[in-house]
Amino acid sequence: MKILSELYVPLVVSVGQVVIFPYYILWLKEASLTFTLFTWLFAAFSFSAALGYRMHQAGKKPANSYIPFLYMGMGGVYLFVGNISTSFEVLPFLALLFQVILGFLQGYHHAWHIEQNTFRLHAINHYLLVGIIMVALSFVKIISPTIFITIFGATLFICGLVFIFMKNNMDSAVSN
Amino acid sequence: METSPKRNKKHSIHKNPWFLGTVVCIFVVSVLVNIPIEKRKYGLSQSNLTTDYTGLLPERIERIVKVGGRTELQKIVKEANEKRQHISIAGMQHSQGGHTYYKESIVLDMKTFNKILEIDKQHKRIKVEAGATWEDVQEAIQPYGLALKVTQSQSIFTIGGSLSVNAHGRDIRFGPMAGTVREMTILTPTGEIKTVTRNDSEEWMKFVFGGYGLFGVILDVTLELTENDVYSIHTEELKTNEYEAYFSNLLSNNKTSMHYARVSVAPHSFLNEMYVIDYKNTGKKDHQTKLKKEHGARIGKLALDIGRQGGGLEDLFWKNQKLLIKSLDGDEITRNNAMRGNSAFMEFTKPGRVEVLQEFFVPVEQFEEYIRELKRFLSANDKNDDFKIHNITVRYAAKDDYTYLNYAKEDMFGLVILIQHGLKEKEIQNAKAIIQGWTDLTLKHGGGYYLPYYPYQTKEQFRKTYPSWEMFHEEKLKRDPNGVFQNIFYDYYF
Ligand SMILES: Cc1cc2nc3c(=O)[nH]c(=O)nc-3n(C[C@H](O)[C@H](O)[C@H](O)COP(=O)(O)OP(=O)(O)OC[C@H]3O[C@@H](n4cnc5c(N)ncnc54)[C@H](O)[C@@H]3O)c2cc1C
Repeated sequence: MKILSELYVPLVVSVGQVVIFPYYILWLKEASLTFTLFTWLFAAFSFSAALGYRMHQAGKKPANSYIPFLYMGMGGVYLFVGNISTSFEVLPFLALLFQVILGFLQGYHHAWHIEQNTFRLHAINHYLLVGIIMVALSFVKIISPTIFITIFGATLFICGLVFIFMKNNMDSAVSN
Repeated sequence: METSPKRNKKHSIHKNPWFLGTVVCIFVVSVLVNIPIEKRKYGLSQSNLTTDYTGLLPERIERIVKVGGRTELQKIVKEANEKRQHISIAGMQHSQGGHTYYKESIVLDMKTFNKILEIDKQHKRIKVEAGATWEDVQEAIQPYGLALKVTQSQSIFTIGGSLSVNAHGRDIRFGPMAGTVREMTILTPTGEIKTVTRNDSEEWMKFVFGGYGLFGVILDVTLELTENDVYSIHTEELKTNEYEAYFSNLLSNNKTSMHYARVSVAPHSFLNEMYVIDYKNTGKKDHQTKLKKEHGARIGKLALDIGRQGGGLEDLFWKNQKLLIKSLDGDEITRNNAMRGNSAFMEFTKPGRVEVLQEFFVPVEQFEEYIRELKRFLSANDKNDDFKIHNITVRYAAKDDYTYLNYAKEDMFGLVILIQHGLKEKEIQNAKAIIQGWTDLTLKHGGGYYLPYYPYQTKEQFRKTYPSWEMFHEEKLKRDPNGVFQNIFYDYYF
């Protein structure tokens, strides 16, 4: 089971992030009132990702203990984006917050992911899966982006819970 | 090759978590302070549906013509007249009831037709194309020490759009806006270009001003100007039942040139308290003071957003407004700047909700009784209601003999109401019912309502407010027999 979660969950995250990107970007475009702000929101993501990446490298505690919460955090943000109903003037502020959180978590996740044995295997699967899913999505035109974002958020959140559950099981198996 | 420790340190600073953390923090703060105030996306669109500022009444149009030259425009109108096509005219599109477009119509976007043609300093006049905004005009005349006689409280509107609704503002001396035009060039529905004055026997001005773009295109106008006087601001808090006497006193002595008032919509002082802002003559003239730019919009918006929550927060907002107004007492301001009220702070965009304006006119001597009845009609605390009132300002609209579709058959107070309500069918019906009830109450006091806004009112209420509608309609059919100039407003009421 551990192997399964380690094998597939990071793939869900990396593939999912790319697949959801076109939908997320639609929301982001709407939330950022000007093109300048749109680009700045990406910059905020990138700076924050650099920080997340570096924090993983500098971390002393084994990163595995944070990973489930990282999935839940990412999932939480996407769930929030998918279900948000607020006045437009608040959106840019929320978008900035989300970009910083997502950037940090993604940077951290990436730094962790490349250290995993399965990373090389994931790289090829990642590209293939993204390609296949994107082609498949091109046939689905009716569902609104927010539904996809919500589904992806929920999936990540569940992955986080699964990870915690596995970890607890493993821990109790070891102590037994 | 060995690297020096210094170089190594320099090399790795960007990898230091503290450094990266600081970069993220600085960047986030700079983005935060630069997030612009939301501007509604609205207006003309050929690929999507066209709307006006509220985003209500979406409609597909045939095409947009960015107006450049008169000959091109004349050709379009002549062709439309021959082929029985519809044309609508759009300025800044701040009207809110589909006045600037119509199903499958050609929409003339006047914003590009905005040249200042002539400034006559000696006779205090300006000739300007109708797509120019008041802002454009103010920029042109300010260096000559000149100012406009009548405008709305903001300078964001086009001259054509403003004259077509015969707008009014804070000035209390120069009468209706239509009365400040000496000469006008118009492109008629049959494609003729005519230059007319107030004495024109065909009375084009009387139909075109306040004519909502139904009698032809205003190409240019010659406006009468006045001096850019310096005023001292006087503010005072009053009870609403003291206002009539206060205003008649103000009007009878010549010390004050401009004036408006704000009535409380906060639960604890609802329609009881108000404050007035008078612009008193100082005798000084100004040639130098720069036109003020809008600033503090974010704070203003935040304050209004607090007020929008209703209940105790609306009381708090009202108290703060009073303090702010009090702090203006004694300040000096030029006429041009007094005519440039802020607008960005009013921006409001929330999915499923809309903010609209309505204006009710009531004869000056009816104000007290009207407010008393209004207090019984409206709920003082709308915190939990769908239909919310955020603001009421009062202006003076002098008797108007210059237009046929006129809202001021005698001297009136105009009460401008900022309303918010939901966009579900039930919520719109509820807003309609309240506004229709409010209109009936206003009509009972000999008043009426303003037409540039969303038509919540019935046709019958329109006819009662504008008894000369029939004559207006007959003239429209006579002068525009093929119905070239069309808009949703005309379709609804006529
Ligand atoms: C925030 C706000 C504040 C306001 N304050 C005031 C106020 O203080 N006093 C007041 O009186 N009104 C006020 N109004 C109403 C405003 O004056 C009108 O809506 C005005 O028409 C706006 O000008 P515009 O350039 O946006 O015109 P548009 O909305 O573009 O057009 C209005 C009408 O004019 C016609 N039109 C436009 N250009 C021409 C032309 N060249 N020739 C012929 N017809 C033309 C259009 O067909 C349309 O029927 C306010 C509105 C808003 C939204």
